[in-house]
Amino acid sequence: MPVDLDNSSTVSGDASVSSTGNQNQTPKSVGKKKRNLPGMPDPDAEVIALSPKTLMATNRFVCEICNKGFQRDQNLQLHRRGHNLPWKLRQRSSKEVRKKVYVCPVSGCVHHDPSRALGDLTGIKKHFCRKHGEKKFKCEKCSKKYAVQSDWKAHAKICGTKEYKCDCGTLFSRRDSFITHRAFCDALAEESAKNHTQSKKLYPENVKRKNPEFEHKSPPVVESSPSLPPSSPPSVALAPAPAISVESEPVKIISSSVLPIQNSPESPENNNHPEVIIEEASRTIGFNVSSSDLSNDHSKYAGLFVSSTASPSLYASSTASPSLFAPSSSLEPISLRLSTNPSLFGPTIQDPPHFLTPLPPQPAMSATALLQKAAQMGSTGSGGSLLRGLGIVSTTSSSMELSNHDALSLAPGLGLGLPCSSGGSGSGLKELMMGNSSVFGPKQTTLDFLGLGRAVGNGGNTGGGLSALLTSIGGGGGIDLFGSGEFSGKDIGRSS
Amino acid sequence: MNTTQILNPTRPIWPGFSSSKSLCGDANCMEQLLLHCAKAIESNDATLAQQIIWVLNNLASPDGDSTQRLASSFLRALISRAASKSPAFAFLSLAATASVSQKMLHRFSVIELAEFVDLTPWHRFGFIAANAAILDAVEGYSSVHIVDLRLTHCMQIPTLIDSMANKLHKQPPPLLKLTVIASDAESHPPPLLGISYEELGSKLVNFATTRNIAMEFRIISSSYSDGLSSLIEQLRIDPFVFNEALVVNCHMMLHYIPDETLTSNPLRSVFLKELRDLNPTIVTVIDEDSDFTSTNFISRLRSLYNYMWIPYDTADMFLTRGSEHRQWYEADISWKIDNVVAKEGAERVERLEPKSRWLERMREAKFAGVGFGDTAGTEVKTMLEEHATGWGMKKDVEDDDDVERFVLTWKGHSVVFASAWAPINGVADLI
Repeated sequence: MPVDLDNSSTVSGDASVSSTGNQNQTPKSVGKKKRNLPGMPDPDAEVIALSPKTLMATNRFVCEICNKGFQRDQNLQLHRRGHNLPWKLRQRSSKEVRKKVYVCPVSGCVHHDPSRALGDLTGIKKHFCRKHGEKKFKCEKCSKKYAVQSDWKAHAKICGTKEYKCDCGTLFSRRDSFITHRAFCDALAEESAKNHTQSKKLYPENVKRKNPEFEHKSPPVVESSPSLPPSSPPSVALAPAPAISVESEPVKIISSSVLPIQNSPESPENNNHPEVIIEEASRTIGFNVSSSDLSNDHSKYAGLFVSSTASPSLYASSTASPSLFAPSSSLEPISLRLSTNPSLFGPTIQDPPHFLTPLPPQPAMSATALLQKAAQMGSTGSGGSLLRGLGIVSTTSSSMELSNHDALSLAPGLGLGLPCSSGGSGSGLKELMMGNSSVFGPKQTTLDFLGLGRAVGNGGNTGGGLSALLTSIGGGGGIDLFGSGEFSGKDIGRSS
Repeated sequence: MNTTQILNPTRPIWPGFSSSKSLCGDANCMEQLLLHCAKAIESNDATLAQQIIWVLNNLASPDGDSTQRLASSFLRALISRAASKSPAFAFLSLAATASVSQKMLHRFSVIELAEFVDLTPWHRFGFIAANAAILDAVEGYSSVHIVDLRLTHCMQIPTLIDSMANKLHKQPPPLLKLTVIASDAESHPPPLLGISYEELGSKLVNFATTRNIAMEFRIISSSYSDGLSSLIEQLRIDPFVFNEALVVNCHMMLHYIPDETLTSNPLRSVFLKELRDLNPTIVTVIDEDSDFTSTNFISRLRSLYNYMWIPYDTADMFLTRGSEHRQWYEADISWKIDNVVAKEGAERVERLEPKSRWLERMREAKFAGVGFGDTAGTEVKTMLEEHATGWGMKKDVEDDDDVERFVLTWKGHSVVFASAWAPINGVADLI
């Protein structure tokens, strides 16, 4: 057998080079594998140390009859059958096979030590190649290099195939990392109505299409696009994306709120909107929202919005019926604006006063459909919540989150809930809204998260200072007994 | 032998030191040195300790290979321990000040943290397993209340929300309530979050909203050092909500509740029993599989070494040298090492218990294991494929209850285990 056993020893104890000491049979319990301590392979296993050449040899199993080499033992057995051996010679030796663990032949490697041996020959082969071998395989797409062919192939399969792109531009190959990122990414706040395919189609020019992949996912969260206001009312009315961004503000409850639906298809005049909204609101929701109140509030807001459609940002205590959410834009022509904590939205791009740009009217939703939705919402949600939800979150804090990309489509449906920097108007509604905070919500006091608080503290710079200190202990490293040169030798293949 | 030149010839010659070349690149040799150093410190032998430290200092380096970096962290921690232990080691006090302190830890922004937890499967493994178990368990409930006890600040939640939104699209999605513990930034173990929990929560709620899930978020202040008693209190007085599932997700945090080696009051068991009394729908327990509770410092050090080489080794594989990620990652590990080695008493919070012990505790608290299911297993495996090869997963079946539990492995060595539990309800035993 061409296999060189350079060193065979037991794993346990100190790493002394010794011949196979313990002949204790590994007590293999029938059925269950003996669990090893983490970090220590089976102490009674036989340690096999192969030379690099042997390790990499492809044909370790050799037929004794014809000297043909095979990669696997099973293949060899199959081959041997073909020789028509007499029964006796066919038997394999019946001695109980000791569990074997393998060490890496490169000295200095973590796995060179028997106590860190790996139980699998293929494993050690791969390890050897990966760590100490030359990287011969290169991925064309991203130029990553691999020493083991199976690694390279596995990578090539996934490289560039699945890509999730967040609005902020970061690419992910895995969906869960993408989702986790996206949940916290600022860009979420700036999404225009991905759900509003309608709006997109209608008003493509204004839509900031961030990511086609997410269309079906994100409803128009609150967004305001400051850029819209300047445009003339008609075009504004055409503004696509929904979201009014609500600015951050002290909210006790962080909960999702449902925004009522967008207004009717036609693009109303500014002045009309308040009434339209109010009416629809009262109609659809069936709450006793006094139109006067709403109109008051609304009129205040009206001035703020270029177009009339104001999509209310509601802070409902999360009882909004999901049906109001517009999950897939393709399915729900109504663009629902969900306002959530305004603090989420992206950096304030404009001055507060500019707030919300009107959302484009959603043509598809008919009054009956609106009513239905409202009924659904009413039934699933708790009674007062919607009303509360209608309350505007008026914020005492000043910043409005505005994103200048997306046009806001202010849902004319319930024309409330506008983040408004002027504290006065909203306060009453805020009470309403806050009133029911059964759940605890965080108090938004800062707007800082905007920048997502890039690491406030300093990154760990423990490394440099410490080593300097340590070397100073060691007498300035005068005597270099072990020679740093020794270590560099170990660093074969460690680069990168 | 070279070693004898520095050391007093009457000192024991450590085994395996045949030549300087093979001397200390070797992990085992490092371990021996560290253990000897620890023994010297424990026995207040300043001279020997100094000598070994000198040797180690030459061998270990925060910029070397994984073994060297591991040893370097350990060395730092040992020095810190020695300096605070006795005046005999006063000469080390200068070096000790450089040990990893809370302030030096990086404070992650949410996005950074999101990226960070995905660098290795260390956390993602637990996320996937737990999410799968949770989703299975909460099917049909109209309201889901998750108590999230987690090291990584709710990083599991977005994917949970996403899965909920996807899987439950046929029925109206449930109301999601998330309760987290306010962590005291000063003593919170890494990774540290750079924004407040309020902000974090609001982002989550926002995200949930975009997936059509109504969500509430609340923060309760409670402390692990007293076994989360205020959390339990709060949960007890929460009003009963019809058809609501209570989910308690314990991810790498349960071991911060002091165990019996610190206090005689069995806080961990008490916590689990009280949890059981709240009748949760499902409890997930994910933690690192190692034993740092030994009161014997030397054996603790040994267990620590035999576990901590794993994060350093994995770092070598995928984190480029000198990168920020690597720095942060290793700083976090160093913090842990420092905590186990240099701190004592209430400060030493990293009291890991091995999986077998946690399973015992859960059973004592009258929980029965719940399996994860095949899809979860496949998901985990798929995820692992996208990481460095070397990560693996094994499914462990315990003798007692035939329930599969997942264990994340690195090169065959157990790293993190994941388990799911539901209370035993009277006669209907196992689920």
